[in-house]
This record gives sequence, C-alpha cells and structure tokens, in this order.
Amino acid sequence: MRTLNKIIIYIFLIVTALITIYPLLYVFSAAFSKGQSISALNIIPFGDGINFNHFRYLFKETNYLNWFKNTFIVAALTSALTVLIASLSAYVFSRFNFTIKKTMLMTLLILQIFPSMLAMIAIYVLLLRMRALDTLWGLVLVYVAGNIPYNTWLVKSYMDTIPRSLDESARIDGASHLTIFFRVILPVATPIIIFLAIVTFTAPWMDFIFPKMILRSPEKQTLALGLFGFVTDKKSEFGSFAAGSILVAIPFIIFFILGHKHMISSFGAGAVKE
Amino acid sequence: MKMNMESLTEKKVRNTSLLFMGLAHILYLKDYLKGSVFALIELIFLVSIPKVIKNISNLITLGTPKPHLPIFQRDNSTYMLFDGIITIIFILLFFLMYYISVKSARKSYQEYKIKGRRKNVRESLADISTGSFSLFGLLPALLLVVFFVLVPLIFSACVAFTNYSAPNHITPNNVVDWVGLDNFRTLFGGDILWGKALGRVSLWTLVWALLATTTCFFGGFIIAVILRESKIKIAPVFRGIFILPYAVPSVISMLVWQNLLNGSFGTVNRTLMKLGIIDKVIPWLSDPWLAKFTVVMINLWAGYSYFMLLTTGSMTAISQDIYDAARIDGANSFQVFSKITFPLVIYQTMPLLVMSFTHNINNFGAIFFLTGGKPVVADSATTSAGGTDILITWIYDLTINLQKYNMGAALAVMIFIILAPFAIFNFSRTKSFKEGEL
Repeated sequence: MRTLNKIIIYIFLIVTALITIYPLLYVFSAAFSKGQSISALNIIPFGDGINFNHFRYLFKETNYLNWFKNTFIVAALTSALTVLIASLSAYVFSRFNFTIKKTMLMTLLILQIFPSMLAMIAIYVLLLRMRALDTLWGLVLVYVAGNIPYNTWLVKSYMDTIPRSLDESARIDGASHLTIFFRVILPVATPIIIFLAIVTFTAPWMDFIFPKMILRSPEKQTLALGLFGFVTDKKSEFGSFAAGSILVAIPFIIFFILGHKHMISSFGAGAVKE
Repeated sequence: MKMNMESLTEKKVRNTSLLFMGLAHILYLKDYLKGSVFALIELIFLVSIPKVIKNISNLITLGTPKPHLPIFQRDNSTYMLFDGIITIIFILLFFLMYYISVKSARKSYQEYKIKGRRKNVRESLADISTGSFSLFGLLPALLLVVFFVLVPLIFSACVAFTNYSAPNHITPNNVVDWVGLDNFRTLFGGDILWGKALGRVSLWTLVWALLATTTCFFGGFIIAVILRESKIKIAPVFRGIFILPYAVPSVISMLVWQNLLNGSFGTVNRTLMKLGIIDKVIPWLSDPWLAKFTVVMINLWAGYSYFMLLTTGSMTAISQDIYDAARIDGANSFQVFSKITFPLVIYQTMPLLVMSFTHNINNFGAIFFLTGGKPVVADSATTSAGGTDILITWIYDLTINLQKYNMGAALAVMIFIILAPFAIFNFSRTKSFKEGEL
C-alpha cells in the first residue's frame, strides 16, 4: 500500500514535470534549430542538431539589442520614479494630516483596481498633445502613473508600522522633513522598497499594449513588440522568436529561482499588511 | 489699521474669508504670507473665468461641424472633452481651496482666542513649511494620477455616452456628439447581435476568471501538499521544475503555446499523429468550446507555480503545535488536512485569491497572446467578439482595430460595474477601515 502510494505520487509528479517542461524544451530546440517556421520544427527536440543561425540573425539583421536597450531604459526609469514618487507620497500620507487626506486615500484605493488599459484612448490623446507619442519617456510616465495608486497604499501601510518616535527624536535633533524621509524612514522601509523596485522593474519587460500604442518608429520598439513581430498572422519566424525569448527569459528564470523564497514572503507581507 | 480685536467674532472672520479668499488672514489675523497665497489663488481663478466658461460650454456641445475649414482648424471634440474634464476638476479644486482657507482662518482665530496673541512669524513659517512639504511631497503623485489615471478613466466613461466611432465620428475630421444612453441601448437588446455578444462575453469573462483562479489555486495547492507530505527526497528538484512557468514572462509562454498548439503545424498535433494516438488534427484553438478549455488549461500551466509557492509559504507558517495536538487527539492525516491545513491556508490566502480573481477578469495577456480572442463565432462579423474574447480583449479589439471607441468605452463601464464590489472589498479590508479611522 505504501509503495503503491509512492509510485502513484511519483508518476503524478513526473507527468506534471514533463508537461511543465514540454513547451520550454521546444523553445530551446527551436532556438537552436535550422528552420524558421513552427511547421519545420522537428518533433523530436534537438532532432536536427544544434545551430546558431537564429542568434546570428537576431544580432545582425534585427534591432534586438536596441529593443533590449529601450526596454531596459523604460524599466529602470519606471522603477526608480515609482519608488521615489510612491514612497514620498506614502510618507506624507503616513505622517501628515491635512484636509482631504481621507478622500484622497479612498480615491487611490478605488483607482488601483482599474487597469490603465481601460483608459487607452484618453492616454493617447494626452500624449499626443504633450508631443510624447513615440517617445520612451511618454511610456515611462504612463507606467509610473499607473503604478502609483496601489503602491502608495502598499508603502504607506508599511510606513504606518514604523514607530513615530523615530521621526520625533530626529525632529528634536533639528532634522527637516526631507532629511527624516531620506535618512530615517527610507532605511527602515528598505524591504518594501526593494520589493517595489523589483516588481516595477520586471513588469515593463513584457507589457505589450502601451508600447504598441505609443511607440511607432522601428528604433524605439521594446522587446515585447519586437518578439511579437516575429510570430504575427503575417509571418512565422518561430526560430528567431524562440532565440530572442530565451535570451530574455534566462535572466528572469535565474533571478526567480534564486529569489523566490524572498519574493513570496514579500508578496504575503504586501498583501496582508494593508 | 487699529482693529478692535475684542469685537472680532468668529462669525466675522468666517464671513470675511468667505467674501474673498485670504481676506480675513490679511485684515484680522495679520498672517500676510498665507493670506496673499490664498488671495493669489482667488485672483488666478477670477482671471481664468472666461476660459472656464468656454471650456464648459465646449464640453456641453463637443464642438460644431465646420467642414469648410481645413482639418486642423475644425473643432476637436476629443480635446474639448479632455479640457472640459480638467476644467471641472479645476473648479472643484478651487472650491476645495476656498473651504481650506475659511477653515484655516477660523482655526487661527480660535488659536488666537486661546493664546491671546497672533501667530508670530516663526510659527507661521513652521506652519507653512509643514503644509508645503505635504503639498510638494504629494504633487508629483497627484499630477500623474490626475492626468494619467483619473482624467483618462473619466474620459473613457464619458465616451460611452457619445458616438465617437469610425467611420463618421472620428476627430479631427469630424465632431463627436453626446448620444445619451444609445450605446447601452444597442448593447442591451437594441441590437440582437450586440446583445448576444455582450451576454456571451460577460458570462465567459466571469466563468473564465473563476475557473482560472480556482484551477491555479487548487493545482498549486495540491502540488504543494504532495511535495510536503510525501517526504520524497528529491522534492526540491521537483519544486525547482515547477517554479519555471512562473519565471518565464507570460507573453513568451503564451506565444509559445499558441505555436505549439497550432492546428496543422503545431508540434502537439504532429507528435500525437506520429504516435498514432489521433488521426485527425485536434482544433485546440479553433473550436469555440475546445479553445475555452485550452485557454483555461494553459493558464493553469502558467499560473499554478505562483499558488504552489504561496500555499507552501502559508503552510510553513502554521504552528507545529496544532498538528501535534491533533495527532494526540487521534486525528488521521486526512482529518488533519481537511480540518486544519485546508481552512487555515484558505483563510490566509483569501485576499490574494480575490486579487487573483480581479486580475483574471482583466487578464489580457492570457487570452490575447494565446488565441487573440478567436475563433470566429456567429456574431463576430458585426461585433468583432470571438469565442474566447473576454471583456478586456474585446475592448482592445473595438478600440484599436475597429475604432469603435464608444462601444469600447461602454464595455469599460461594464468592467467598472463588475469591479466596483471588489474596490469596496479592498477598502473594507484595510486596517484603517477596520479601526474606524483612515
């Protein structure tokens, strides 16, 4: 009975593992295959040997490096600005009292549930008038604004748990509000700040809708746009798509496997704390 | 100016500050700095009144057609709508400032009554520095949220009551008009095809969100329990494998699956045929019902890792004492699971389950990159809603491909309505709400 149980469990786990690995195996196999289209892909993984054509093609014939650079700039700026703006407003919400604080906090809480995507047209009109269409900073502004409502709450809830006696003793020493924010509060709030920085840095890598709407010229494309361009209805360059994808995915995979324990505890903390 | 401060009453202070912003600060309270800031705000508002009136009247008419003019000189309804909304916010802000100024005057007066003297310059400066710190600290966040989130959302809610759509009402060539509830009439029975599509897509959106959340949760939970309870030695190896779908960006995994599941070229069908399991291709993504099933299954593939990690974490947090006590009381392992582990894990992850449900209602990526909302069904030619389209992907189609902005916006209003209870849930869950203060 015990061994039977164990066998069933092993079979279940192995089957699940196989299904989990299945598509990833074919991505690698396609990335190192000769042909482009999915129909030419050998159904035995790596059945046609190993070939670096697609990587050569990516770096020589396409703007892959440029896409990567653009995406990195957008992600880094989004992350930095979100952290700065959200934590500053969280500090104000957590430590100061003013007339419509309640209304503002409630508005943010309600706004965070609606995805920015619902407001696409208006954002388009706004960027058009600001002459920010087809610019990376326009995209960054859209992302940062979308990040603020939820993350202000997240950081505020964390800062609420930091004892006020800390700021008060600094104030007695003559520290200004800004000094207290940067020297006292931010260092204590580091865990939530790191969490925020990571989450807001990773999200823009694979967003598709806003880059598609905002960025037009070929040299301003991001990775998601570029990769999507390989496998549209019109053409199927699955090989290049796979090669480009694994180059992005590998850093993510390494990062997640190393950091998943920390991530999950932060996830829990972030969600339950409010 | 020798004012007789004894005769100064709270009513007088209130009325003076109501008369003109900051007047009471300057006349009675001698708080010149604050007073002039308030007065400046009122002046700015008075100067911009003509502009305010023009913007509001534009908001009401949304412009008149002027076909004889060159395109860039014609009335642009979208700009007018946008400016109108911002103007309304501007007016509200002005009245808020008015309220704040009266309140501040009364507060200063009361302090004066208690202390018997006016605020000196130092106190007044300290006041202003604290006030301006909160103002400037919030300013970047406020500007961004107002212009990029709040106004756009109101804008799209407004568009639902206009005829902003291709081919006859697209700015800047043509103007847009308010049409009242016409778009909603079309959706709710005015037009059989639209009505049917709305019913079908809304129902599928809810079913999808429910199935996507529960399959991923139980999938992840079961695996977490098995890895924990079975005590096999290579559990970490399995865990390492099971985490992979979570680490791969979802756009990539969805596009990969889309290709692998392709009807005639995909590796899945070709492999199954080679093995002799099937002799006809399986229409994974092109049969309306099978496509729905496939979408849920692929989402399970992509989503179970997250819940596996989450429930693993949550089970580790359960105190060992509870288990020991249960064992002593003679509970078998099934009872321990169903009476202790399961309820505790559900309780702990409930907020995240709700979050995941709202996330799935708007899970654009899982549908768009896998099926693009296809396959085509009976009403797709008119409404562009395919067999696996959920509301958000349908909105994307209507907006980007068909330029039926009005219908897209009407559907966005539907999403607002569906999500509103969750917004309230979110609010009631906050600690501050529970403690009766914010």
